[in-house]
Amino acid sequence: MLGLSMTITLMLPSFDFRSAESTWVGLDKSLSNGLRIGWSYEDPFVVGASKPLTVILNANPKTGEPYDPPVRAYVYQPGTPFASGVEHPDNLGPTVKKLSLERGKIDQLDRSQGAVFTIEFADVNGQEWAYVVNETATKGWTPQEVLSAAGDANTRYVGRGKTVYITEGCWWCHTLLPEHTQDWQVFGTPPYLGDFNGEMPTAFGSDRKAPDILHVASRNSSREWMMMHFFNPRLVQPNSIMPRFDYLWGKVDANGNPIDFAKWRADYTAYRKGERAYPPEVPEYARNTEIRALIDWVLTSLK
Amino acid sequence: MAWKLDNPLYSLADDQENKATIETWQREKHGGLWESNNRLPYPVTFLIGLIIVTAFLVTKPIWGQRPSAELYAPMVELMDSPEVQQKATKEEKMAYLTERAMEIHKSAADTRLPGLLERHPISWEDLQLAAPHIREIKSANGPYGLESYTVVGDQVVLGNFEGSYRPDGLRERTQPWWDKGYTIDLLYVSYFVITMVLVCKRLPHFTQKPDMSKAVK
Amino acid sequence: MLLKYLFAKNEDIPAGSSTIFFGYSAIFWFVVGTGLGSFNAAKLAFPDFATGVELFAFGHMRQVHVLAVILGWISMAFAMTMMYMTPALGNTKLWSEKLGLWTAFNWNAGLSLGLILLWCGFTSGREYSDLIWPIDLVVIFGVLVPLGMNVWMTIAQRRTQGIYITNWFFGACIFFLIIVFLVGQSAELFNLTGLTEGYLTFWFAHNVLGLWITPVAAGIAYYTIPKLTGNPLYSHRIGHLHFWSIIAFYSTPASHHLLSAPLPEWLKSFASVEGVLILIPAVAFVANILLTMKGRWSMFVENVEIKFSVTGVLLAIPLNMQGGFQQTRAINWYVHGTGWIVAHAHLALLGMSSFLEIAAVYFGLQQVLRRKLYSLVLANFHFWFVIIGFCIYWISMTIAGLIQGAGKIYEVPYIDVVIAEHPYMIARWIGGTMVFTGNMVWLYNMYMTAREGTIVPKGRYAHEMAYER
Repeated sequence: MLGLSMTITLMLPSFDFRSAESTWVGLDKSLSNGLRIGWSYEDPFVVGASKPLTVILNANPKTGEPYDPPVRAYVYQPGTPFASGVEHPDNLGPTVKKLSLERGKIDQLDRSQGAVFTIEFADVNGQEWAYVVNETATKGWTPQEVLSAAGDANTRYVGRGKTVYITEGCWWCHTLLPEHTQDWQVFGTPPYLGDFNGEMPTAFGSDRKAPDILHVASRNSSREWMMMHFFNPRLVQPNSIMPRFDYLWGKVDANGNPIDFAKWRADYTAYRKGERAYPPEVPEYARNTEIRALIDWVLTSLK
Repeated sequence: MAWKLDNPLYSLADDQENKATIETWQREKHGGLWESNNRLPYPVTFLIGLIIVTAFLVTKPIWGQRPSAELYAPMVELMDSPEVQQKATKEEKMAYLTERAMEIHKSAADTRLPGLLERHPISWEDLQLAAPHIREIKSANGPYGLESYTVVGDQVVLGNFEGSYRPDGLRERTQPWWDKGYTIDLLYVSYFVITMVLVCKRLPHFTQKPDMSKAVK
Repeated sequence: MLLKYLFAKNEDIPAGSSTIFFGYSAIFWFVVGTGLGSFNAAKLAFPDFATGVELFAFGHMRQVHVLAVILGWISMAFAMTMMYMTPALGNTKLWSEKLGLWTAFNWNAGLSLGLILLWCGFTSGREYSDLIWPIDLVVIFGVLVPLGMNVWMTIAQRRTQGIYITNWFFGACIFFLIIVFLVGQSAELFNLTGLTEGYLTFWFAHNVLGLWITPVAAGIAYYTIPKLTGNPLYSHRIGHLHFWSIIAFYSTPASHHLLSAPLPEWLKSFASVEGVLILIPAVAFVANILLTMKGRWSMFVENVEIKFSVTGVLLAIPLNMQGGFQQTRAINWYVHGTGWIVAHAHLALLGMSSFLEIAAVYFGLQQVLRRKLYSLVLANFHFWFVIIGFCIYWISMTIAGLIQGAGKIYEVPYIDVVIAEHPYMIARWIGGTMVFTGNMVWLYNMYMTAREGTIVPKGRYAHEMAYER
């Protein structure tokens, strides 16, 4: 009985999963998250170590030729494990695998050197396919020059941000799966089969106590709003039951001054009681903080 | 483990084996416990049959189906006609359009359409916003027809459903009312029922009850 | 005090030691688990309660509550019942008390470590499989395999000819659980990605319930009810039907948890049908147990163990009616991801399953300690606090879920749903806190039973002496 049950529920679907062709969404998520999120050898303290960086390139870092619209590149610094679809091209789906190997040269890789990837499109049999391009092999881009060409302002800590999403348990209330109902008009289109190739973990969430956020950045792309909302959700939504995530700011703000949380809370309490006209200012986060990574992920990945 | 097949509905084991089983049950205490040999009560048997039938009836995928662009195509065609233009309010326009679309769907080959339309009304505003997409899909003659696109609110997108492969290598985007899953289910349930009948009929018939008074407490 | 036996010779360890170790550990974890539940519920009702500290953030504590209850309380209560029921049903002794004690020790140590790490954010990010895979390996090879060895070997060296139904469930379910763990965690071990990972997560979550929590709890009821009432089990053949239909129909509908995800549609169709068919084992189980009660219904009022057991069995009726139908496409679109499901999950774990285990732990500890329960009054207090607290929780979350479902369908701005749910969140916290209070009383009662309970003379059962002074 159990054998038959496992054949039907595990073996048969595995054929379907194996033949799933990755979409642009799937490739983008996989390349920006890296091999896996959550505990691993490379990230033993689950702080988002050894994750790729997503950069927005306005110009070719080698030739200076301007890009319009800007190009999204995924930078794997030396030692960072490559995304699942790159390490195991079978995970990309048959057609995408063929394109990525033949045109994208994703087999010419060396983890100790790092690599830069982009996603391009090709037309095969009248249908458009997204595939992975290893820019280090095709154009000779190195991780270091791409990062310095883009600068910190155009660098997004997407992989680390998703790690924060997982470790802080955001997914216990927010789902990443709009349902097949009217839900859809509010939270956007549900994902397709190929939107998940190479993602680990998928973290759909099952217990929705808050809005679905799969497409949240296309509803609200304000970094300032996100900052206030994370620091204390009740600054922007008085009835919210979301916890405060002010501890993600760390100890100092963007200018290196220590953040006085006790004073902030006291001021905020005074504001709630009506003793102050305005709530206290939310401190600007420092460059290398968890909150920056989290907001980067939300605004870059959840379009 | 002798099998006896001349009266399969009564018992599949021979008398000797049945007698031995009953003897064991009477003697055995399992640390102070005994088992009786009652039949499945009629209401329970009936319930199980009912559950199996219900299971197939309530899970027909039709209940979860989303409205396809095909559903609203007749409305899109008629929405600029003078009859519709003359109507004063949006509600009147939609009532008229829905009625006409229903007539067309009732004579269509796909018998699910009238029911789907009933469950998925659309507003005048949404119809206006969705209409250009629907016209575009119809005129484009792409690999997927109107039936493969889903309409929710004012959005028209390719159905989020990937079924069997078509001859051209692409996958079906519409949900059939009967699919591979149901076929496997039928086989699986039949297999279960047959196995259970065999297992139960190998036990002594339910009229042969162990005599618990013989057991030692 | 029991730890001194860890390095003793097996023959020198008094019979029942591992039962006692597991029993008290289970009660302790029940108190911890429900305490965390109550704390989490307070955070949902009052979001600024204990705020701004990473370790007290809801997202760090929610999964600790879930796993403390599933792996700490429920699974250890299962192990405890296995330690005394399996030998009793085979007229024999436990295969190895020493292995039993070591299993209990590993379990407590491994689970404490795993939960502390999880609390600090060491997670795999997969629901119900949150523990990082090294801890999963400890659970499989340090806990489940030794537990299985003990149960299987005890069954193998039984002195009865047949194997009683409870032991079928025990032996088979440990085996299933090991397989379910290995397959479910393979996603982390071998870095399987995408929908394969998403599906395996819920394949694991579903089967832990289906092949462990539900059937073992049922197996326990097959022991406690006939044992305490003195009636023979109503029907051996319905037992067969129950056992085989659980395996056939509970192991298959995993994908009904992901009806919204783009899994292969045929798999969802298949799962939906199988999901309704879960009613078959449910009907078989409830019928068999309630018919066994024939002529002894007065015990439902008089006897505290029967009170817990039968309440658990009765709660299986709404549980399976909900479970069977809420997973069909026709209903799932409305309730999926809402508080309704949370209510249903608590009906399964806190309602049906926990009530059956509480009865078995009460009965087993009195049996093994040979001491009568310290206070029947406190036991009844425990029963009423847990049942009333649970009902408040269940009803309030069901209503909250229906509000959420309606909000979802009618496109109500999400924040209005949050506002509408607020009173029910407070009710949920009150209900959860009542359950927690009841359990603390239970822990005290069982502690006092071990210390001061009246000694039960040989040849008598503790429950027969309930009203004797």
